[in-house]
Amino acid sequence: MSKGNSNAGMRKNKKTDLTISYIALVVISIIWLFPFVGLLLQSFRSYDPKVEYGGMVDYLIPKTFSLDNYRFLFSGETNFLKWYGNTMIIAFFVALFQTVVILCVAYTLSRMRFKGRTFLMRFWLVLGMFPGFLTMICLYFLLKQLGLTQEGAIPGLILVGVASSGMLYYVSKGYFDTIPRALDEAAMIDGASRARIFFTMTLPMSKPIIIYTALVAFMGPWCDYIFASYIAFGHDESYNVAVAMTRWVWTNDYQGYFTRFCAGGIMIAVPVTILFMLLQNYYVEGVTGGSVKG
Amino acid sequence: MKGDIKTKLSFLIMGIGQIMRGQIVKGLAFLISEIFFILYMVKFGASYLSKLPTLGTVETVKQGRKTVYGDNSFLILLFGILTIIVILVFIFLWYLNIKDNLHDEELLKKGKELPSNKKVLYSLLDENFDKTLLAAPVTGIFVFTVLPIIFMICVAFTNYDKNHQSPTNLFTWVGLKNFKELFSFGSHGMGSTFFQVLLWTLVWAFFATFIDYFLGLGVAMLINKNGLRFKKLWRTILVMTIAVPQFVSLLYIMKLFANDGLLNGYLIKWGLIDSPIQFWVDPMLARVTILVVNIWIGIPYMMLIATGILMNIPEDLYESARVDGATGWQMFKNITLPYMLFVTGPFLLTQFIGNLNNFNVIYLLTQGKPQSMKLANNAGSTDLLVTWLYKMTVNDTNYKMAAVLGIMVFVVTAVIMLVVYNRLPSVKDEEGFQ
Amino acid sequence: MKKKALSLLLAMTMVGTLMTGCGGATKSDESTEAKTEAAEDKDTEAAEDKDAEATDESEEATPSTTVGDGSEGEIKVWVADAVVDFTAKEAEQFLNDNPDYAGYKVTVEAVGEGDVAGNMITDVESGADIYVFAQDQISRLVSAGALETVNPDVIDDVKSANDEGSVKAATVGGEMYAYPLTSDNGYFLYYDKSVVKDPSTLEGIVADCEAAGKNFYMEINNGWYQTAFFFGTGCELTYDTDDSGNFTKANVTYASDEGVAALKAMIALSESKAFQNGSAMGEATNVGAIIDGTWDSSTAQDVFGDNFACAKLPTFKDANGTEYQMSGFGGFKLLGVKPQTDDNKLAACDALANFLASEQVQLDRYTEVGWGPSNLNAQASDAVKSDVALSALAEQLKYTIPQGQYPGDYWTLATSLGDSVRNGDITSSSTDEELMETLKQFQETCESYAN
Repeated sequence: MSKGNSNAGMRKNKKTDLTISYIALVVISIIWLFPFVGLLLQSFRSYDPKVEYGGMVDYLIPKTFSLDNYRFLFSGETNFLKWYGNTMIIAFFVALFQTVVILCVAYTLSRMRFKGRTFLMRFWLVLGMFPGFLTMICLYFLLKQLGLTQEGAIPGLILVGVASSGMLYYVSKGYFDTIPRALDEAAMIDGASRARIFFTMTLPMSKPIIIYTALVAFMGPWCDYIFASYIAFGHDESYNVAVAMTRWVWTNDYQGYFTRFCAGGIMIAVPVTILFMLLQNYYVEGVTGGSVKG
Repeated sequence: MKGDIKTKLSFLIMGIGQIMRGQIVKGLAFLISEIFFILYMVKFGASYLSKLPTLGTVETVKQGRKTVYGDNSFLILLFGILTIIVILVFIFLWYLNIKDNLHDEELLKKGKELPSNKKVLYSLLDENFDKTLLAAPVTGIFVFTVLPIIFMICVAFTNYDKNHQSPTNLFTWVGLKNFKELFSFGSHGMGSTFFQVLLWTLVWAFFATFIDYFLGLGVAMLINKNGLRFKKLWRTILVMTIAVPQFVSLLYIMKLFANDGLLNGYLIKWGLIDSPIQFWVDPMLARVTILVVNIWIGIPYMMLIATGILMNIPEDLYESARVDGATGWQMFKNITLPYMLFVTGPFLLTQFIGNLNNFNVIYLLTQGKPQSMKLANNAGSTDLLVTWLYKMTVNDTNYKMAAVLGIMVFVVTAVIMLVVYNRLPSVKDEEGFQ
Repeated sequence: MKKKALSLLLAMTMVGTLMTGCGGATKSDESTEAKTEAAEDKDTEAAEDKDAEATDESEEATPSTTVGDGSEGEIKVWVADAVVDFTAKEAEQFLNDNPDYAGYKVTVEAVGEGDVAGNMITDVESGADIYVFAQDQISRLVSAGALETVNPDVIDDVKSANDEGSVKAATVGGEMYAYPLTSDNGYFLYYDKSVVKDPSTLEGIVADCEAAGKNFYMEINNGWYQTAFFFGTGCELTYDTDDSGNFTKANVTYASDEGVAALKAMIALSESKAFQNGSAMGEATNVGAIIDGTWDSSTAQDVFGDNFACAKLPTFKDANGTEYQMSGFGGFKLLGVKPQTDDNKLAACDALANFLASEQVQLDRYTEVGWGPSNLNAQASDAVKSDVALSALAEQLKYTIPQGQYPGDYWTLATSLGDSVRNGDITSSSTDEELMETLKQFQETCESYAN
């Protein structure tokens, strides 16, 4: 066999190889996208019995295309806009404060050596092994003492979301560890205080991890249907979208709300997804950079 | 008793020594904390602390038709614990206060100068910057994580359940009774159910972690293939599952797989099956379906991580292997996989622990169902310890057993952590792979 | 090292803020403490401090005679979403008609009957003052101290105005704890006329559905619907309770030949390819027939259109050909008042609850949302009598037993039994002994809930 032949064979091999890869990827993409397409299609099925039906059906494509579900969400018949706003507020402030807290903790643990540092890290690791639900009832009564349940549920949720976030320092610490300490030392010789180094040197270099941390923190509250429902405790105006909308699926009081659930789901998914797509690169950097180091 | 009069005064009035020596800022800080402590104890802490041993004795009574609530065992326990923590913190502060006084005295004796107030404050931005940064996070964690956890551990030793609900009814300490109940194997005992749920929790965590790991790695390699186009597009499609909140996507999928759901509906319509496939009803099938759906959730995340790492594998390793005539499989087995496993060891462990407590996937899909007469206390065939715990808390308000179960979850997690963590190659030998 | 004190100090001050937050509450408690002998240390939330002060004012006057005059406060009402607007409207009406209570503000919030008991039990102080619940929750609510007894001044009227079953349902031990609101919490058959030809036998319905490729829905893993089989063959399952809602005795005869016959019928149904487990019209697809209640009447009409029909439950046959009429529970929705720390507010709540459960409001509620009244006069009205769904229910109620009190654990246990049938733990190939074994276990567990 001459060399040329083998090369041609390899090229041919490569080509079939790639074709198979493309087919596999297309199949995977279809599977991955199907639920979202389904969600979208169902959201265009009217819940009005004169037009179609809002409950469960055994077909995918609506018989008539309608925007009734979206109209319902915006009409003020329910507090959907309020819930949406609540979630937005919670997500924004949790993202803001949580990022600050995490960066503070991560920087300290990465850069400073003080007595009790390893103890603190071990202690937090141990705390993390307790299931969170265990503490829900207790947190509820703590917040109630502070007046942060029911009407005050939104600041309450922000407080709880931020209060314990110091324990999530891990990924950011991993990132700070990669910034050479020599830079700090040089600045210190020049007489800069640690605070100055943190604010003027380290933070500007940490844009990816800041965005990653904020993005993760921002996405969290959109899925909180357990603790948020505890804290709102039946007060409709304090619900977030997740609490309000899981009721549409789980509770018998809301029959025929399935298509409205789908529409609401789309309303949530679209902005979060766009934000995520825009910041995807930072996310990848955060996930790969921070979470795999020992 | 060591120390001069200033130090001795500080035994009673914290910070007075520092103030007398001119360290106003530090002294005031100590003094204020003592005032706070005394106020707290007098107004609030002492009464709770005194009731902690019994958790309250005054019953709720009726006066006419009006209800007058008695002791609230819940709050007694909660604030009793808080008070103990406050006392411990105070004792520690007191100790620091004395130590600081003695230290200052020593310095003065040696004829050295004490740091000025300004310098003390400035140190908070420099050599004590760590204290400034950590103060708020540590406090937050103490109040909103540590205190509740101690509280729930204590609940495991009480009879706090639906028949002993505050504020109407009192609850009290019962020792190890609840633990005995969990490990009782009679006809109504929870023992066998506990071990079945535990077993499924472990099995689930194992498969959920490793199936996702290898499939995610596979997909990442597929997309990374040389010459393949639209890499970004494929990744973006997959990553959608991370972006869309799980309660939306998983609830939709739950309906999709239901007996009367879309999937069964179409399969029947096309004549492929005669009666619906019992995705969520048959215990075995429900478990498999959950694992499959979890692949849908898990692959994108793993793919992202794997992509990053794959790019870091030195190309010359493959180059030299190729020269030696290695096949693709051999290269994967001997280069890619060991490298991946080495780098992602800790990640795998955290994934495993995360899956042990993967509430969302299970609860949104099945809520732990199907239940069975063979399982006690409302447990279902797909219940993890955490979902079971959650149902006990919310549906049955059986806090005592939920707390016991929570401790068990902790024990299981801790054991796995301890056993695995120190054996991880990347922990054992940080430089090993370079 | 020594400066570590400073960081801890910071921590301390933060704890301090928390303490002051709580401290405020204790302070106001102390003022009540002086007046009420029993409560040494009562922790009330900020909102309740108001109540506490109100108590102080009226403390000297004899309770329950001075009613209303000029008291203020908020009365929170929890009802299902479907009747929030209706209830708010009626509450408004009530306040207009009763200027004595005009100082109270009534807020109505949507908390469904499924969640309400859990919430009330978790934190009774923050829970609603007046709430609607399904009767199966009553003993749980009573033992958690979330229900006040019905005002003795009106109790005789309430008892005589409502049907016997609903009064029994609202009674735990010897005390009546709630105002009957509806007596439509029963189930019957909705079916598609074009699919099901003869709705009188279960076998016939299932065969028709199978032939048409339609689904037959019944929620057999629900303790409420399940009893249609067991009570149909003559099994018994009731509990005795004492006054505070504790279960003292279980009367169960599931582990019997009748029980086995019922279980076999359940298994046979679940093995049909037309069978679907469910009882919510809005969640059902491709429905031929469904066992459901009046609350889904309008949804059922939407789905079936012109083919809408309803009937009492069918009969079913055992292996020997003996025919049984499906039975089940006749249940009720009740309106409860939470125990109050303030006599004035209690009086207001009592009056509002009594009004919301009155004949006229029950009738209005029927007109507005179709809930079948428990009030005898309202039941006798023409509108209610001519309602097809309610008529089918009335027909079925002849064969059911009024639902008494059941421990919460019963419902989850029944789900387990139903799931065991569905998931193949027990099948049509199981021997009678195996079935008996399962039922024995069920019965023993049921008995273990009473003590």
